Amino acid sequence: MSEAIAIPALAVAGTDLALETHAVTGTGVTLVLEEPASRWSLRARSADALAAVIGRGVPARIGDTLDGVACLGPDEWLADLPAGTVLPDGAGLPVSVVDVSSRGVVIRLEGAGAVHTLASGCPLDLERFAVGRATRTVFETVEVIVWREAADRFRVFVWRSFAPWLWHALKAVERG
Amino acid sequence: MSGYRLPAGGRIDRAAPLDFTFDGRAHRGFAGDSLASALVASGQMLFGRSFKYHRPRGILGMGTEEPNALVTVDRGGEGPNCGQGWGRRTPNLRAPSVALYQGLAAQSQNRFPSLTFDLGAVNDRLGAFFPAGFYNKTFMWPRSAWEKLYEPAIRRMAGLGESPTTRDPDHYDATYAHCEVLVVGGGLAGIDAALEAAAGGGRVILIDEQDELGGGALADQALWGEVADKTMALRRPRNVTVLTRTTAFGYYHQNFVGAVEQLTDHLAPAQAQGARERLWRIRAGEVVLAQGAIERPLVFDGNDVPGVMLSSAGRVLAVRYGVAVGRAVAVMAVHDSGWRDALALKAAGVGIAAVIDLRTDVAPDLVSAARAAGIAVHLGHAVTGVSGRHGVSGITFAANGTGHAQQLAADALLMAGGWTPTVHLWSHAKGSLRWDDAWGAYLPDKAQENCRAVGAGAGAWDLGAGLALGTLPGPKPIWQTKAFVDFQNDVKARDIDLAVREGMRSIEHIKRYTTNGMATDQGKTSNLNGLQIASGSLSRPVTDIGLTTFRPPYTPQTFGALMGHHKDALFQPIRKTVIDGWADDHSAVFENVAQWRRARYFPQGGEDMHAAVARECLAVRERVGMFDASTLGKIEVVGPDAAEFLNRMYTNPWKALAPGRCRYGLLLREDGFITDDGVSARLAPDRFHLTTTTGGAARVLAMMEDYLQTEWSDLDVWLTSTTEQWAVIAVQGPLAREVIAPLVEGIDLSREAFPHMAIREGTICGVPTRLFRVSFTGELGFEVNVPAQHGRMVWEAIHAAGQAHGIVPYGTETMHVLRAEKGYVIVGQDTDGTLTPDDAGMAWAVGTKKPDFVGKRSLARPDMTAPGRKQLVGLLTVDPQEVLEEGAQIVADPDQPVPMTMLGHVTSSYHSAALGRSIAMAVIADGRARDGQVIHVPMPGRSIRARVVASTVFYDQEGSRLDV
Repeated sequence: MSEAIAIPALAVAGTDLALETHAVTGTGVTLVLEEPASRWSLRARSADALAAVIGRGVPARIGDTLDGVACLGPDEWLADLPAGTVLPDGAGLPVSVVDVSSRGVVIRLEGAGAVHTLASGCPLDLERFAVGRATRTVFETVEVIVWREAADRFRVFVWRSFAPWLWHALKAVERG
Repeated sequence: MSGYRLPAGGRIDRAAPLDFTFDGRAHRGFAGDSLASALVASGQMLFGRSFKYHRPRGILGMGTEEPNALVTVDRGGEGPNCGQGWGRRTPNLRAPSVALYQGLAAQSQNRFPSLTFDLGAVNDRLGAFFPAGFYNKTFMWPRSAWEKLYEPAIRRMAGLGESPTTRDPDHYDATYAHCEVLVVGGGLAGIDAALEAAAGGGRVILIDEQDELGGGALADQALWGEVADKTMALRRPRNVTVLTRTTAFGYYHQNFVGAVEQLTDHLAPAQAQGARERLWRIRAGEVVLAQGAIERPLVFDGNDVPGVMLSSAGRVLAVRYGVAVGRAVAVMAVHDSGWRDALALKAAGVGIAAVIDLRTDVAPDLVSAARAAGIAVHLGHAVTGVSGRHGVSGITFAANGTGHAQQLAADALLMAGGWTPTVHLWSHAKGSLRWDDAWGAYLPDKAQENCRAVGAGAGAWDLGAGLALGTLPGPKPIWQTKAFVDFQNDVKARDIDLAVREGMRSIEHIKRYTTNGMATDQGKTSNLNGLQIASGSLSRPVTDIGLTTFRPPYTPQTFGALMGHHKDALFQPIRKTVIDGWADDHSAVFENVAQWRRARYFPQGGEDMHAAVARECLAVRERVGMFDASTLGKIEVVGPDAAEFLNRMYTNPWKALAPGRCRYGLLLREDGFITDDGVSARLAPDRFHLTTTTGGAARVLAMMEDYLQTEWSDLDVWLTSTTEQWAVIAVQGPLAREVIAPLVEGIDLSREAFPHMAIREGTICGVPTRLFRVSFTGELGFEVNVPAQHGRMVWEAIHAAGQAHGIVPYGTETMHVLRAEKGYVIVGQDTDGTLTPDDAGMAWAVGTKKPDFVGKRSLARPDMTAPGRKQLVGLLTVDPQEVLEEGAQIVADPDQPVPMTMLGHVTSSYHSAALGRSIAMAVIADGRARDGQVIHVPMPGRSIRARVVASTVFYDQEGSRLDV
């Protein structure tokens, strides 16, 4: 009853998963690993207070995006800007400007099956997710930020160490 | 062997024969058959052996309510992963729910050596010794026999199917879905609800567990046309999704429904492509439950003989599958539906021996229709016995069950005991129920969610009238009958009566004592009969006794489906640092820390861990080593109130910390116990770079956010996780400065300009760096923080620059030894959530002048300063080469009787190459007062002696090696 069972090894183990730059998922959607950019986590009590510090327009409503700045929460914004952009650090002022350019990567999903592919692991109602909206959410157990650029184009922000798993989980989604 | 295939009829495709095996014997069925219908058509009436008594059993129901015919299906190990150790054996599948395919190989269960001759049937002969709850009163003496005899024997006998012993080669899909209306159940009521909802324009999802829509209508030929038309109508609108072979297994909060769609199990393995099952996680605006109703068996002596089944099962077999259950079929009814079934079977060509109804006043049109069809009718009678063991050979019946016994030759007996609306999902969602006398069952009453029930599942379907009974009346007293209530768990009517006699009053107790309703069918055919019998035994109305709770899953689901994509390589994310690839290329042996994989040591040549660690440790102390510390949690704390916030969170004072300096911080919970620690740096008056333990990063951030958002929302300070923003390379050893100096720009690394516990910003290898001078080894040390995208490049540059100095990469094992030599604690290893700062010897870290900090009040509790508390101390084994085992218990006297008084345990233990002997840390009651005492560590077969040292610093007690 308690004799050992010989379980065969996996051809591909979890530790073998590696990030790629391009792929096509089981749903025919294209995955693209975006080039590094300049990303900032920005905090302030109001959009105006933040805008005054960084000298750019800042959306006021949670979920809105404006020129590369997304409002993720009542006092939280994410700036996704061209590589090399530097923001003022707001020293001494009631704001927080933190460079997180190296913290994560962005996986872009393009194609008619983009909604279906993301819906595999994201509990939001993605069919009703407006173009130009961004929010923090999850894909299964991995925290991500989803940013919808077009009907069939989503950008998914994920921390560096979770990216290989997410990439391959997206690839594994099958057609409905 | 009574069943046979009718010459015509059914929805099967007679032009598409399928070959399959059952217990190794070849059979033939048709496309559209289930395993059950094909076997009955083949004359097979014996499907399995019951759980406890190993009684021969056949089909009871032709739906998911089937309790007896549990089979194992082996789909083989073919596919991309084939060979030894791969396989697809699934036990405990209900035969009516197994779709037939070419080459299907099924086995019966719970019998040895064979289905027809089962040695386990001895349990049935000894049945008097195995009533309900027998195990509460047996297997107690002698006590020594439990481990060697009783438990192994029970393990072998218990359970039904066998667990798989092979790896599953299949993969599974999963998705979320949203809709305005979800309809569960694709019978006519559900189809109508879906069509109506579709007209409203919102997204509609309709799911049904069978392979085609229609539900009960599939067994009523008059309704086939309507089913076909409406199924076509559902395909037209673009806002309707129809999922067949899909079971809604659970209904959760806020209209969240879990369902599993079977994708390939109905196909031969060679035809199966893609995922095997798909998990649906559906959030619905409104849920419409159309789960229908399940027929009740009747409870009487002999009701479990193979060939005795639900009347609806006989009808489904005849009308849907073109299979007759016998040539002389008797029907025992207490409900009108039994009569309609008899007429339908007769019309399909099945010979009906008689209809027996306990009622004397049955609707005249039913009686006359039966007589006109040539069916013998016996009103006011009840079946009192069934002849046959592997099949029905005849039945005994009597007026009102107690009159003169009459015999009737029959080869099958159908039971029409009334109908129970299926309220499982309604109940998952905490909808209330109300008793209905006409149905003799509970019906949905008030919903808690946005949910409504329709059709038979709501009691809104005309199935006719009937009685609600416990047992059929009979000549014998209940305790002498073998009348089954729960077929899967082998619970008899007399067991329920026994439970009542032994003092059980509530159905919750009766259920657990007898196990009625606790099998994998969750009482679908036994709950209400059990309630009626209990009501009779207690002489109380059914509504007084209660109803047990329904829990997901509605039917058993596979682990694969519930795991979805989380299988094999995708089982869970394994977090790796940017330097991990270099470690992998250099033969590192890894270990898991939280979700990360970290290099544990770097063996060279044929080194084992002990040798590698000894070499790495000596290299760090004598020259220099490098270590990937990127997994450490990092939080950027920014804002004018940053210092005030940290002052409130940590035990240490922070306000006076100058920019450019670092401090070791100790974090307590409200209850005063250590929860995390880390060295943190002040970069500017309003900016701190905090570090946490690897495993505590998320937890500490959440704890800090909790305070900021709920307690101190007036503070102008914000927290940003930067754990993955920075790669961290620790360079530790007397030559550390020499190694990094050529690479660093813009920072004066000299001892005077860059003291211990300081931070400087500059560049290294051309990229920005936050350079910490900190040490977790007790040697001169730096932690090079660079943006993660440059981590690998900088690591390789430091490794190259270090070659001239004999630099050695080291892993977590060496890191553990080096810090232990210096007595540095690891939160979560040396602490376990019950140590105060003073317990851990870190009272120095508590700012005595601080007005408040998290945990301060708790530290003042008398219990927190009382004598006898466990304190962290060092242990030096009397035999210096003996290494204690971490977790080992500590006692003062190894010869005391068991159970011994345990003083504490070993928290960290290593062999120290630098000291040439073992070292250990332990938490011991009044540890510091035991300085110099010898304590004992009992191990299997021996006891190890060790001396307590109050200080945990074993190496370089003065700390002079840091001051360089």
